[in-house]
Amino acid sequence: MIRDKLTSYEHKALWDKFRFGNQDAYSRIYELFAADLYRYGYNLVRNKQLVEDGLHELFLHIYNNRERLGPTDNIRFYMYRALRRRLLDSLTRLNKLDSSDYVFDNAEFLIQSYETELVEQQTLDYQKKVVIAELNQLPKRQKEILYLVFMKDLTYQQAAEVMGITMKSVYNSVHVALSALRISVNERLNREGIFINISVAMLLGYLTSMH
Amino acid sequence: MEDKDKPKDYIKNIRFEETTPSQADLDRLRKRIWNDIGEPEKRAIWWKQSNFLVAAAISMLIISIGIGWWSSRSEQYQTAYGEIRKLTLEDGSQVTLNANSVMRIGDRLAENAVREVWLEGEAYFDIAKRKGAKFIVHTSKADVEVLGTEFNVTTRRQNTKVMLNEGKVKLHAPHVPAIMMKPGDLATVGDQKQPIKVRVVRPELYDSWKESMYILDDKPVGELAEMLQDNYGIRVSFADTSFLNKRLKGKLSLSSPSDFVTNLATILDLEVEKKEDTYLFK
Repeated sequence: MIRDKLTSYEHKALWDKFRFGNQDAYSRIYELFAADLYRYGYNLVRNKQLVEDGLHELFLHIYNNRERLGPTDNIRFYMYRALRRRLLDSLTRLNKLDSSDYVFDNAEFLIQSYETELVEQQTLDYQKKVVIAELNQLPKRQKEILYLVFMKDLTYQQAAEVMGITMKSVYNSVHVALSALRISVNERLNREGIFINISVAMLLGYLTSMH
Repeated sequence: MEDKDKPKDYIKNIRFEETTPSQADLDRLRKRIWNDIGEPEKRAIWWKQSNFLVAAAISMLIISIGIGWWSSRSEQYQTAYGEIRKLTLEDGSQVTLNANSVMRIGDRLAENAVREVWLEGEAYFDIAKRKGAKFIVHTSKADVEVLGTEFNVTTRRQNTKVMLNEGKVKLHAPHVPAIMMKPGDLATVGDQKQPIKVRVVRPELYDSWKESMYILDDKPVGELAEMLQDNYGIRVSFADTSFLNKRLKGKLSLSSPSDFVTNLATILDLEVEKKEDTYLFK
């Protein structure tokens, strides 16, 4: 996972520089966030061309309207929200023209172990694999929330705004998701006669109590 | 307890499977964005291929040689001091020719793939879009290449100035790479030391002459004096030359040059005296 190391103060400063017309700041924003936005976009629509068009339009849009943009202390959040809207719009447009393919349902947030290669060497214990398998069973919307919050360091509030849903539904969604996850992991492990180990138990507790 | 931090570690240990764009993807996208910067938001990409440009340059060369030969039969418009003339060209483009200017029109604007005009003086262009056909304004210092857009070209004294109002134009000047202008840009093509200077301006400061208005804002009086001489053949001089650097605000009508001069004197709080063809402010 690639994270920019900017503090919120640096986010704000960079964004302000850009808004007041600094070309280098614009370039820097592209360097810092383009790849990340690309990944997020691709998780949403699974269509490279669409993602590129969306990013192209988005970057031009913020450039052409830089004087009218508001401040932000989290550029990623700002850009995620804008990109998501844009992709949603272009899908709506495409769906009108072409009734078949493009559905936002293709959103795919697949969870894997951080050290993929090591997984192959079976260093990831079985229980963790079970957790991951169960996490992948979550509805896409819930996965997207987890993705934005855990992977991209957004707050629940920001994740809600990016996705255009209320805080309440984020809470509900995550709470329901994780409670269900806890139960299903427990059941599965019990069924297979494995005592849940302490780290997985704590993980589940941690997930469900997070908010 | 040693497991205390495990959950958090573990969370960090799972990640979402992601497709990461290659550096080539990112570079291509970057190039595409930078290429279209300043463009109104639409998907058209005009000059995507550099070899297209080379081809265009070569074909232009051939065409201009051809046109040189044909030039004896091409149309030409000329305005006198104080005369502003609106023209509609064969291809539907609108040109407002400022006073004391000459424009020669290339052949068959409605059919040719490259539409060309040659300008001395100043004109405002509102180019009609014709698919695939570009429009080139030639001046002594630079060529302005466009597809469909609105812009102002001034080629007087030692400079050619291009102010882009809308759309996108490409400015070619000798010895330097062509530049892509965006709306609000004023490009000045000058001497060898500083071939092209670009700054962002308020478009109305540079095209209000079409409505016979002159906006004084942010321009030194010296520039105004040059304008009077270039467009109306009126010479003005100042007993106290420090006035030439003074900057005024507001706008003045140009429909009557002599009223303009009187009003200017009032604003500056000076007396004006006419000697032959020169107005002396003191």
